[in-house]
Amino acid sequence: MVKEVAIGIGWRHPHYGDLLESLPELDFIEVHSENFFGAGGASLAVLHQARAHYPVSLHGVGLALGSATGLDLWHLDQLASLVERVEPVRVSDHACFARGTLASGFDVHAADLLPIPFNAAALSVMCANVQRVQDRLKRPLLVENLSAYVSFKNADREETTFLTELAERSGCGLLIDVNNIYVNALNERLAGSPVEAMASCIQWLDKIPPHIVGELHVAGHMDCGDVVIDDHGSRVAGEVWQIYRHAQQRFGGVPALVEWDTDIPPLAVLLDEAAKARAVCRSSFSPVANLAVTT
Amino acid sequence: MPILFQSRSKLGGDDVTSQALSVELTSLLHDQSLLLQTLFANGNSAHVLGCLDSDGKRAALADRGLQAYRANAGALAVRALSAAYPVLSELMGDDSFAPLARYFWQHAPPQRGDVGHWGGALPDFLDAEPQLASEPFLGDVARVEWALHAAATAQDALPDPASFALLAGGDPDYTSLRLSDGVTSLSSSYPVVSIIHAHRIGQPTLAQAAALLGAGVAEHALVWRRGFKPDVRVSSAAEHALVRALQAGWSLDAALTAACGVESNSDAAAFDFNVWLTQAVHTGLVIGAHRMRTVHQTPQHSNEDAA
Repeated sequence: MVKEVAIGIGWRHPHYGDLLESLPELDFIEVHSENFFGAGGASLAVLHQARAHYPVSLHGVGLALGSATGLDLWHLDQLASLVERVEPVRVSDHACFARGTLASGFDVHAADLLPIPFNAAALSVMCANVQRVQDRLKRPLLVENLSAYVSFKNADREETTFLTELAERSGCGLLIDVNNIYVNALNERLAGSPVEAMASCIQWLDKIPPHIVGELHVAGHMDCGDVVIDDHGSRVAGEVWQIYRHAQQRFGGVPALVEWDTDIPPLAVLLDEAAKARAVCRSSFSPVANLAVTT
Repeated sequence: MPILFQSRSKLGGDDVTSQALSVELTSLLHDQSLLLQTLFANGNSAHVLGCLDSDGKRAALADRGLQAYRANAGALAVRALSAAYPVLSELMGDDSFAPLARYFWQHAPPQRGDVGHWGGALPDFLDAEPQLASEPFLGDVARVEWALHAAATAQDALPDPASFALLAGGDPDYTSLRLSDGVTSLSSSYPVVSIIHAHRIGQPTLAQAAALLGAGVAEHALVWRRGFKPDVRVSSAAEHALVRALQAGWSLDAALTAACGVESNSDAAAFDFNVWLTQAVHTGLVIGAHRMRTVHQTPQHSNEDAA
């Protein structure tokens, strides 16, 4: 029997109308939580309409869970209010930092997903912040691995060890972004790593205990020659589909999402990618797994 | 069904209190501040490279990585401000607006994780910018646009038609009107509403708006939300005073006294409350009446808010 896995798409503004008119067959949709902060308005009303047809996953980009300066409680209040209204199927954010204080004494939020060092201090900060969010939301959080374009020197463990410890100590789950792993591996090659990118990604996934993984992401990336950028602006690369297949096999079939955030194409293109994610999944769990769609 | 969650009582274990970890936390705070400083203030990358993996071949990648973060921030700044200030963006043109957005990002960085909340300080920034001194109306145009931007996510109105019975039978000193959330009334020395309408709906034309600007016409702008649509229209001095007084918590009686007391021209004489109320209820500006527990202000106490 073929295992059915929940497949969704990132639902962005250009597709608000199209999705609600056509109501395509999807198991869930995912939105960026921050786009629906605020007491009311058209966006929130549209989200409620969609919620009547699909389970909604709230994916945050602004909690900045790895910020040593701590969480912004206003942000947490906004998220808690949204969670209460939407009753999402999952809530997630990233293993990153963004908040801090400039030399001038001015507090800032970088509005980006900046990397954290994989060491005891950052783990302690992440655990405390994740725990605070979970206590407020009264539900576990999924934390996503980053694509990072710089890395701190003072790491004392691998990313996989860090994320596993985070999950075990805080009780959160992991959202594994397969494309991010691949982008990091490609950038490692540019930095002189002798390890082939695909092999590196498979090794990465094999170090993650399956029971802590709650969702997978796939997306496109852009190779600029001197750096590879996780821009979510194209179809998922063939290599990423192969890594995704391995992830689904290793993690036993977890919900998966196609993200597309820049140069957003017609909805049909995203649905085609979602169909591919489903097909790869089905073939991954069928007796003839090697006949999968991995274009 | 909500997922049940069991809080973990031991977070960092004994490590959290250890001296070694305390030193590492200080180092983490320092490194994070340094990276932010480098990205926001176009700080010297050499300082932050000291705490990044940047040996050998990694130096070029680290430098390129910082460049990628800066480029992303710059693009986000332009996107966010263009969304909040579409008319200002058109007025200035891409060639001026994009560098302005990037400059403003550096000098008044976001403080919240929702970039939709960033940019409210732009009007004051425009007023104070010497290079824009020849276009002093830009600050007020931006103020109206920010009010429209904020109104878009204001609490949805819940009209209470039955409550208007209070206007007939309530104590006038303790009765007031409830405005919908997101209402802002602004006073400008420039024809701000005409400029915004010229860009948004073509009425008046750009040439007519320019003529009004040249003639030194001043306008009050009333921003509110009509259903889900943020809207703006020209307001009279009397209406401006009335709305500001109601927002300051004055009774309707006191607010009307303020509206009728405005010095300017024939506004006050022409102001017909019954006609105004009918239109205000119809367009969603006023959503009900309410009984006040205390009188917050009267014109005798202070009229600053209605000035």
